[in-house]
Amino acid sequence: MEKIIEVQHLSKSFGTHEVLKDIDFTVKSGEVVCIIGSSGSGKSTLLRCINLLEQPTGGKIIYKGENILDDKHDIYQYRTKLGMVFQQFNLFNNHNVLSNCVVGQVKILKRTQKEAEEVAMKFLKIVGMDQYIKAKPKQLSGGQKQRVAIARALSMEPDVLLFDEPTSALDPEMVGEVLKVMKELADNGLTMLVVTHEMGFAKEVSDRVVFMDQGVIVEEGSPEQIFQNPTQERTKEFLKRTLPELA
Amino acid sequence: MIKKLKIQIIVVLFLMSFLFGGFVNVAQTVKAAQNNATTVENDNVFRVGMEAGYPPFNWTQQDDSNGGVRIAGNEEFAGGYDVEIAKIIAEQLGKELVIVKTEWDGLVPALQSGKIDAIIAGMSPTAERKETIDFSDIYYKSDLVMVVLKGGAYEEATSIHDFSGAKVTAQLNTFHYSVIDQINGVLKQTAMDNFTAMRVALQSGIIDGYVSERPEGVSASAKNKNFAMIEFSEGFVTNEEDTAISVGVAKNSELTGKINEILAGVSQEERQQLMDEAIKNQPGTDTEQSSISWVVSILKENGPMFVRGAGMTLLISMVGTILGFLLGLIVGVIKTIPVPVKKARRVLQRIVHALLAIYVEVFRGTPMIVQAMVIYYGSALAFGIHMNPVGAAIFIVSINTGAYMSEIIRGGILSIDKGQYEAAQAIGMNHFQTMCNVVLPQAIRNILPATGNEFVINIKDTSVLNVIAVTELYFQTKSVAGNNFRYFESFFVACVIYFVMTFTVTRILRYLEKRLDGPANYSMNQMQV
Ligand SMILES: Nc1ncnc2c1ncn2[C@@H]1O[C@H](COP(=O)(O)OP(=O)(O)OP(=O)(O)O)[C@@H](O)[C@H]1O
Ligand SMILES: [Mg+2]
Repeated sequence: MEKIIEVQHLSKSFGTHEVLKDIDFTVKSGEVVCIIGSSGSGKSTLLRCINLLEQPTGGKIIYKGENILDDKHDIYQYRTKLGMVFQQFNLFNNHNVLSNCVVGQVKILKRTQKEAEEVAMKFLKIVGMDQYIKAKPKQLSGGQKQRVAIARALSMEPDVLLFDEPTSALDPEMVGEVLKVMKELADNGLTMLVVTHEMGFAKEVSDRVVFMDQGVIVEEGSPEQIFQNPTQERTKEFLKRTLPELA
Repeated sequence: MIKKLKIQIIVVLFLMSFLFGGFVNVAQTVKAAQNNATTVENDNVFRVGMEAGYPPFNWTQQDDSNGGVRIAGNEEFAGGYDVEIAKIIAEQLGKELVIVKTEWDGLVPALQSGKIDAIIAGMSPTAERKETIDFSDIYYKSDLVMVVLKGGAYEEATSIHDFSGAKVTAQLNTFHYSVIDQINGVLKQTAMDNFTAMRVALQSGIIDGYVSERPEGVSASAKNKNFAMIEFSEGFVTNEEDTAISVGVAKNSELTGKINEILAGVSQEERQQLMDEAIKNQPGTDTEQSSISWVVSILKENGPMFVRGAGMTLLISMVGTILGFLLGLIVGVIKTIPVPVKKARRVLQRIVHALLAIYVEVFRGTPMIVQAMVIYYGSALAFGIHMNPVGAAIFIVSINTGAYMSEIIRGGILSIDKGQYEAAQAIGMNHFQTMCNVVLPQAIRNILPATGNEFVINIKDTSVLNVIAVTELYFQTKSVAGNNFRYFESFFVACVIYFVMTFTVTRILRYLEKRLDGPANYSMNQMQV
């Protein structure tokens, strides 16, 4: 499989606090990779470094054979290739549902309004929000907002979609609707990198699970491998804490 | 829904059209003012500054009756003793007379900065003034009098010392005010800006009397039945230079000699005759009417003046607010640009921030009236730049509003959640695109109420701009009141007009807010089901 993103020796410090240490990992085309780990282990920071919402302090991020941390690289162009779904949804409050999905296409990809609306409608239908195109974000429930946020990211037709705990801010009864959408996307072969605390989702949907602790990747492998036969002590401990039923 | 919206728009437009009625005139006025600006270098005109609100010396009237002369950049005419003298001088100089209506405190700066050629405004050639400007020979000489309430405690006074214990004031920056100290035991009050203010104060009992000169006293007591003029047998000790009235001219001007020659040709009898006529012709009616019918007749006679004043006020405050808003937007946005990574750019950003901080602090920290004086007269004195008064007014209001708005906008931008920026960046927007498409629309919506506040403040604050010869609503009202001596009624009319303007503006902005928020409920998109 073709590599989409390759992270090499990536490190990130906030002041003297070293949050990511020498991270190496890759995301291949069509893969669903889940990142798990305890709170504060650096999962969000890794994701934010990958799309440069945080500036890494060292290492390389190779995208299509080029290191995008080189000065000359066009980071705006690069970001359009990476969709991002946030824990807090972050829909544009001044745009309605349709417009949230259209504005980026028109302003950045320079699509015509009509083209953009067609694309947006296609993805809004996939996430089941096509009936709400006139609603403003504040008129939607959390689950609906997150589905629109997914449609917004998809509308840019990125190579890979990054999710940072997409269901953590949702009431329990809304978690299902979002996970269902994500599963459908995964089944359709979309490349996804998902930070999550939903172990069920990770087990069922992902091709690969990455376990992080204290800024390093402790272990990675297939879901079966990580959940049933973890080799590292730290992984075992984490799973014991989060999935007591396995123990 | 759309139909309802249309009706609302029509109603709003209708309301505004009343106010904007004055705009057509204002547009002409602005054009006229521009023409004047170009005539500064024109040698064939004789530009004379006066308040046009100090009868019988000078006043404002609606037509050219009794020898009235059109006021520059204005639809009104000036009349009075000063105007007659100005006409004689202009004619013998062989030049065209141009009357420039200017607030008292703006007269000397206007002369110094070359915006006018002479002051003929009932001004005395005091030693203090002589330090900054020159004066011609005397063209009128009068005695000092006191104007008091008829039937009041001081009506029978004959000596200035009868005013022991009385509350007395006079016009600011005149010798009238300094001679008050000659009264034993007087309660000297704060000096007032103009005669209109003193007459209001007298009528309402805030003061017991004000010092004035005979012609003003005669007309005040003739026009207002509640006033009486006291002529003293034991009066103030005055200098000849104080009670005398001269033409003010720029230092070392060649005009002085020519004007003296011309004045020498006007005999004492002719002067007295001109003054008597002026007192007789000055505007205002003596008929006793109720306040309500006064309001009606003030509106009837001076309606156009009020409308033009209101139009000017609205023009300056509206254009000023819009330009100020844009200026504030630019400054606010620049101030919130994130710190750049490159060192050279960081230094540049520091410098720009420092300059902007100076701009904001200076204009927020000084009164607009002071800025107006400094900018309008200062630019002429220091650089020889002659701004057109309306342009200068809009400029001053704009940069003032900009200073306030930049901080409001900065606050508005900072109040937008960090997640909005991140989401915008994550789909590939740069800082500029993020601002335009996501942050600013939200920030502007949030600061709309504060913007409305600024607009309302501007409508009211333009009233100080008469110091740079802008005939806005307050100045117009003062002229009307100065002519008809009905202060409460005239200012009541102004009060209502100000309120209608501010109220309409507030409503329109409230409406705009609602529009921006969109409907409270969304409709489901049925077609796509
Ligand atoms: N902007 C920042 N400045 C300083 N420290 C930060 C910043 N952002 C994150 N950190 C620190 O980096 C570490 C990793 O944070 P991160 O948000 O990546 O953890 P996480 O694995 O996503 O945790 P969670 O599961 O709670 O979301 C934490 O110790 C956090 O305090
Ligand atoms: Mg996190």
